[in-house]
Amino acid sequence: MTEVMVAGVGLHPWGKFPHKSWVEMGAEVALEAVKDAGMEWTDVEAMVSGAMQWGGSTGMRSGNTISAALGETGIPIANINNACASGGSLMRAAYAMITSGMHETVLVIGADKSPKGYFPSVPVLADEPHPPVDMVRWQVGIPNPAYWALEMRKRMEAYGSTEEHLAKVKVKNSRHGSLNPYARYRKAFTIEQVLASPMVCDPLRLLEICATSDGAAAVLLVSGAKARRLGVRQPVKVAACSLASGEFGDPTIRIPLLSATSDDAATAPLLSESRLAAYVAYEQAGLGPEDMDFVELPDNSSWHELQYLETMGFCDEGEAEELLDKGATTLGGELPVCPSGGFSSFGEATMAQGILQIVEVTWQLRGTAGARQVEGAQKAITEVYGAQANNSACILTT
Amino acid sequence: MNTTPVLKGAFISDPEPALVGSRCRSCETVAFPPSFTCPNPRCFQKDVISATLSRTGRLASWTTVHFPPPPPFVAPDPFEPITVVEVEFASEGIQVVGPLAQASVDQLRMGMPMETVVEPYYRGEDGEVIGWKFRPLEGV
Repeated sequence: MTEVMVAGVGLHPWGKFPHKSWVEMGAEVALEAVKDAGMEWTDVEAMVSGAMQWGGSTGMRSGNTISAALGETGIPIANINNACASGGSLMRAAYAMITSGMHETVLVIGADKSPKGYFPSVPVLADEPHPPVDMVRWQVGIPNPAYWALEMRKRMEAYGSTEEHLAKVKVKNSRHGSLNPYARYRKAFTIEQVLASPMVCDPLRLLEICATSDGAAAVLLVSGAKARRLGVRQPVKVAACSLASGEFGDPTIRIPLLSATSDDAATAPLLSESRLAAYVAYEQAGLGPEDMDFVELPDNSSWHELQYLETMGFCDEGEAEELLDKGATTLGGELPVCPSGGFSSFGEATMAQGILQIVEVTWQLRGTAGARQVEGAQKAITEVYGAQANNSACILTT
Repeated sequence: MNTTPVLKGAFISDPEPALVGSRCRSCETVAFPPSFTCPNPRCFQKDVISATLSRTGRLASWTTVHFPPPPPFVAPDPFEPITVVEVEFASEGIQVVGPLAQASVDQLRMGMPMETVVEPYYRGEDGEVIGWKFRPLEGV
């Protein structure tokens, strides 16, 4: 199969940018990724872009909007929305275009501005026979973090996890984020400060749930042959790109649903889509969790970080707290988790966050991650977490 | 006063309050809210009928939402935190979320029996919007 390489990356700092449009942010990272590869905008053969729901119908065609700003060249542009798993889904679409031989140079881009607070519902047709379940769950009053909190309480009951464990995840990620100039939040918190933050959906506190941010990221993927012709210095290989959806019999009550198979009747694992995406990626790469030097996982909340360590195969069920307690997941530990600072330090920008992970891993594998560099990093896996059982994982190697 | 169900066909009040889902006559899979088809991918009959769920279940988890959700949630002013509970219905093999009714969060214990009730959610433009809630089973 044709090799796929990261030839260039671009990242916009994350935060709130009321005086800058997502189109400008997207155009900026697009050019940054192209220049990083030593190429020009007109060399891009195809583009995949996050279909940004908060931007209305223009946002849903973000790729065409950004391309028009930079100058239309007639290339194929696909706009994709897979909720918070969009970035990984975009990576896989571009990966497939290159491995199939359809294109040699594909730009992956996510530019996103988010509403503040809980992610709200998006307007729907008024004359449907039944209201969509997303409307009903809001009438009941179940914001996204409530779904995570329900799982976390079960985890506390099953494994004796504590509020201190949840706070420790934030302490660790905030320390990593304090070393990253692109992060929105760069303050390193103490356990006491995290535990003093307001309860949002108990047991999850404000500082243990990622914020909603504005952000943009881009990656230029090329075929191995093209990378050699270009003489790309330090090309990073995309060893796997997976995409998975949920399995029937999974006990996770998924955003925005109202029910799931009961825990006792479950025939699939919790977060079945996430487990599947990780294991499909391992199989594709011919590598296992034990081969990874670090991981960028979807720390949408502290619950996610604990759960994904198990879901992605880094430890058995109920053992994630032990990895955290012994410092394995911190920079300098045996398996640094989210050296970028994670979504905890960046906040969610749903179209861009999966691409942010690829940018971070690329810098790490190039050895240019500065103060947060994972020493000798050669292999890493990224995974996102998308609403309604959407998931994608990528493995990158030197 | 006029009352509107939050989701038509998903619960009943008479003869007793209960959730209404769908059950596949072929593979027995229960879905909530009721579906027009069977969600089991390996079921090829997909012969679904309406099914009233057990009135009582077991408390599987809960959380209290301390900041008001955005519309269409209608938040009272001042906002009172709402507790969302997850109840497992063993004979149907399903767990369902809904608001806690008639109890404080301090009374909740993992695994305790819960029963379905139908109560107002909020006052809407056309009267009261009603829906399912769960409360600890009386006498426990």
